[in-house]
Amino acid sequence: MSTQVHANLTEEQVRAISDELDEPEWLLETRLDALSALSDLDMPKVIRTPGRDWTNLDALDFESFVDPLEGAEQKERVTAEGAEVLEWSEAVAEHEALVREHFGSVVDTQENYLTALSTALFSTGTLVYVPERVDAEDVKIRTTVDSRSLFNYTLVVTETSASVTILERQSTGDEVEGDRYYSGIVEAVAGENSRIQYGALQNLSEETYNYTLKRGRTDVYATINWIDGNIGSRLTKTEVSTELAGDSSETQIVGAFFGHDDQHFDLDSKVWHYGEHTTADLVMRGVVDDTARSVYEGVQYVGDDAWNTSSYQRENTLMLSDESEADASPKLEIDNHDTEASHSATVGQIDEEDLFYMLTRGIDRESARNQLVEGFFVPVLDEVEVGELRADLRELIAARLRE
Amino acid sequence: MSSEQEDLKETDTEERFAFKKEESSAFKTEKGLTEETIRLISEDKDEPEWMLERRLRALRQFKEMPMPTDWPGQPDLSEVDLDEIVPYIRPDIDTRGGVDEWDDLPEDIQDTFDKLGIPEAEKKALSGVGAQYESEIVYQNMQERWEEKGVVFCDMDRAVQEHEEIVREYFMTKCVPPSDNKFAALHGAIWSGGSFVYVPEDTTVDMPVQAYFRMNSEGMGQFEHTLIIAEPGSEVHYIEGCSAPQYAAFNLHSGGVEVFVKEDAHVQYSTVQNWSKNTYNLNTKRAIAENGATMEWVSGSMGSKATMLYPSTILKGRGATDNHITIAFAGEGQDIDTGAKVYHNAPNTKSTIESKSIAKDGGRTNYRGLVHIADGAENSSTSVECDALMFDNDSTSDTMPYMEIQESKVDVAHEATVGKIGDEDVFYLQSRGLDDDDAKKMIVAGFIEPITEELPIEYAVELNRLIELEMEGSLG
Amino acid sequence: MARLEIRNLHAEVADDEEETILEGVDLAVESDEIHALMGPNGSGKSTLAKVVAGHPAYRVTEGEVTLHLDGDEFDEPIPEDKRTWDLLDLEPNERAALGIYLGFQYPAEIEGVTMVNFLRTALNAKFEEREELFEDEEDEEEAEEAGYDTSPMEGPADEGEVGVAQFQEILRGKMELLDIDDRFADRYLNAGFSGGEKKQNEVLQAAVLEPEIAILDEIDSGLDIDRLRDVSTGINALRDEEGSGVLMITHYQRILDYVEPDRVHVMLDGQVVMEGGPDLAEKLEDKGYDWVREETYGTA
Repeated sequence: MSTQVHANLTEEQVRAISDELDEPEWLLETRLDALSALSDLDMPKVIRTPGRDWTNLDALDFESFVDPLEGAEQKERVTAEGAEVLEWSEAVAEHEALVREHFGSVVDTQENYLTALSTALFSTGTLVYVPERVDAEDVKIRTTVDSRSLFNYTLVVTETSASVTILERQSTGDEVEGDRYYSGIVEAVAGENSRIQYGALQNLSEETYNYTLKRGRTDVYATINWIDGNIGSRLTKTEVSTELAGDSSETQIVGAFFGHDDQHFDLDSKVWHYGEHTTADLVMRGVVDDTARSVYEGVQYVGDDAWNTSSYQRENTLMLSDESEADASPKLEIDNHDTEASHSATVGQIDEEDLFYMLTRGIDRESARNQLVEGFFVPVLDEVEVGELRADLRELIAARLRE
Repeated sequence: MSSEQEDLKETDTEERFAFKKEESSAFKTEKGLTEETIRLISEDKDEPEWMLERRLRALRQFKEMPMPTDWPGQPDLSEVDLDEIVPYIRPDIDTRGGVDEWDDLPEDIQDTFDKLGIPEAEKKALSGVGAQYESEIVYQNMQERWEEKGVVFCDMDRAVQEHEEIVREYFMTKCVPPSDNKFAALHGAIWSGGSFVYVPEDTTVDMPVQAYFRMNSEGMGQFEHTLIIAEPGSEVHYIEGCSAPQYAAFNLHSGGVEVFVKEDAHVQYSTVQNWSKNTYNLNTKRAIAENGATMEWVSGSMGSKATMLYPSTILKGRGATDNHITIAFAGEGQDIDTGAKVYHNAPNTKSTIESKSIAKDGGRTNYRGLVHIADGAENSSTSVECDALMFDNDSTSDTMPYMEIQESKVDVAHEATVGKIGDEDVFYLQSRGLDDDDAKKMIVAGFIEPITEELPIEYAVELNRLIELEMEGSLG
Repeated sequence: MARLEIRNLHAEVADDEEETILEGVDLAVESDEIHALMGPNGSGKSTLAKVVAGHPAYRVTEGEVTLHLDGDEFDEPIPEDKRTWDLLDLEPNERAALGIYLGFQYPAEIEGVTMVNFLRTALNAKFEEREELFEDEEDEEEAEEAGYDTSPMEGPADEGEVGVAQFQEILRGKMELLDIDDRFADRYLNAGFSGGEKKQNEVLQAAVLEPEIAILDEIDSGLDIDRLRDVSTGINALRDEEGSGVLMITHYQRILDYVEPDRVHVMLDGQVVMEGGPDLAEKLEDKGYDWVREETYGTA
């Protein structure tokens, strides 16, 4: 592999980006290391079965859409009382020690080709810092991409007994000719007994190739809940994951997607149980229409020392069109026997009997279908604790159904 | 329980597997794989030219293919040095293709299979029985009444001679070509022995036919090939059992099974695998099911050091059905990586997969399965259920299903659970007077009960006995 | 006065041509009447109900199902050339718009769709669909030529849409009538309902949608005596308050203690083999279906 390296990516570009953000030397070094590691790194893992790659990332033509120095966006950051929500240059200026401690601590900057690329090139970033015992509701980060490519980085740190709800949205603004690329890395560090609720709604234009990796790590008694909605983009490869490192910590990962036309969603939900008495609940529901394809991988890993683990996973896909495809691989990897773990997955179409029932009540086929699809999403929407995100997601689903 | 079942149960299973014989053979190839070896094997078997050509072609494919290494969590095969394997040992018997009178077998081989319970089994409930010792079938018998109906049950080498046209058409062509995977290619080059079963149209063989495979020599590879052809409307149940004594060096078993289930035919293929715990068991088993046909795979994997076995069914005809029942038990040092593959390539096809696995004393079990529903296979349904039980914290239990769904008018469901032996359950049983071991045995029996009750009785009894032995840890 | 007429109806299972289930059914039901359709298991009663409602699993091979309207059934008078409908040509929801209602033996459980939303949508869809069915095509063409938009979404149907508040009112009224718990409205459609609640819900929906002809498939099975009474009240109200015709498919005499049928039909092997007044039901209770078989085929 490693044929992807962008011929025009240079140290000078990386220096210019870092310089622009007034970054300290160590961060520049980290970026430069990532740049030079590119040639040795592989693309993120995709599932392979005999004769088939579920997602072909190697075919991505970075030449055509990575434009490192021209990243442009509109950013809206809404902070909550007591919390700090800082753009990147402020973050490194005001909290250098904190950033240095946590940057790259959850997601290895050189985990794969795309994380390294993102590390080298991110030109916009946000730090959400919630001090001890602060309860911060309604932090919002809205990113509107105006350029061909954009590399975004987010770090969330909650101190002991702090709590935060973050709502992140990505969409595209100004039109750009040809393909686009969005890359977003999110690291969440949940301190003892703290709680992070992170909702994200991706509605990028359908010319956008999208790579996102959101990963959190919990301390003792901490909770990280992820909500991830994927509506836009042409191709999305994403991982939403939690390392349950602290004893008695918890996570929930809720996902919803709706693919149409020739969209391709490759969505991974992962949890690693390392601490004792940890709990995970993974819920994913999605719909594919037209020639869209969904690929789902869910991994529940239970480590050797993860005594008394509870881990659950549910995935359901609804196919609205015969030309669509839904692939799923829910995996259990259990190294500690003191575990209660289960997963289930279903794929199907709209139930003919349900549809007939609604028709006999006088509802026409189209609205019956729409009601059934909206109803299909309700169990995941019910899990979404962020009201605004739930409403947005519901609206986007309704809009897509009535396109 | 009927007296028949009692008899089956009484067979001393432990002894059946623990003993080993001095090897004595008529012909043994050098270690390793060369064109020369292949020619020697083929010549010793007096094979037609086309079979030699197929072997040589497979050998070339084998050399070109890499070892599989990119599967997530696959068993460690680094110890498998194919140059150390003795691919072919012909036991010292006079009659090629086996004798059909038990008493004509050399005493040591007779003794071996006596201990394995083969002759008793035959007397009881089988339509036919075959026994393979090292590389070749040494005993083969089919009840006359089936022979009269045109049912063929003979060893594969004899089938090459006596049913040449059929074998030439079906042998590693449409079902498992050597190019399928590295071990299929290896198998294609050095296969020896195995069974050939042919059931004519509308014929129901109402008692199972059984083959027994035994490796006795150290560093031996066994590569038997089984070809089953069930003509339209026919029905047959084939049972295979495998074992080997324990040696220091590793053994390799790489069998090939091809099953053709024609229109409305019904084939059940059951395996109890109890290879010694230095055996690498890497098989390719596949069935093609035509319109309205039913294929059933029942696999119990108890033995071996590492098993990679995913019996696969191609549901090629409209309305074809597949059932998989998989039971895996991994004890100390064992890595049992097994599962199922089903390709739904036609409308109204149906598959059900039930898997139960037990990991104990540091063993690892993995369910690895693929269900593929092709575009156009409408009104197909599949249901997969995997349950795993873990005994202790040294053990590992993985579940890795893959679902590829290209058709919307389908019903796809997958469920899996993993859990430990519940302390509460054990305590409850203990409080009723059972000791710890008996309580656990009972829980394990209860765990696999839902699927053992679907099994043929002679199979279920054998399986239960083996599991009990595993539980006692007394099986070397 | 509406009249549902089933004539010589033959049907088979759509993906199994060899399995014929209806072998020439003749039956008619009118407004203001309650008919009981009885018969042993497998005689074709439920199939008949589904075929009339337009279930895709069955294919009609012969015969007709027509609905005759007098013209005064709906808010606006129905032109003469639109009073007779061949139901077999219509989609299930179009049949519903004309006033055919099917109460299911096993109602679908639909997670995520609330009762109140569902029924309001259904009620409005009925008005909208009627608008389209009774729309004068010639008028429409003229209007289109003249440049008017005749899309029903923006026509009078839309103005006439039943709003949320108004619908809550309607629903509450019907629920009181049937003695149904208020919480029904916000629950998901049949999801997690007990058997009895589901049956009650089927009658409630009929009461809301005010059909011309309601076919109720084994509405009485799985009910305790209190629910059976409530459901019966609902069925009687359908005839007495809404003027609906009711075809009540049942296995047992029991419900007939609360709902007195005007006519009783008996099905056997895909045909209606006996018809009569309420006394026929009592006779059946006494003599059983073997008697029907004997009467039909002579002594066994």
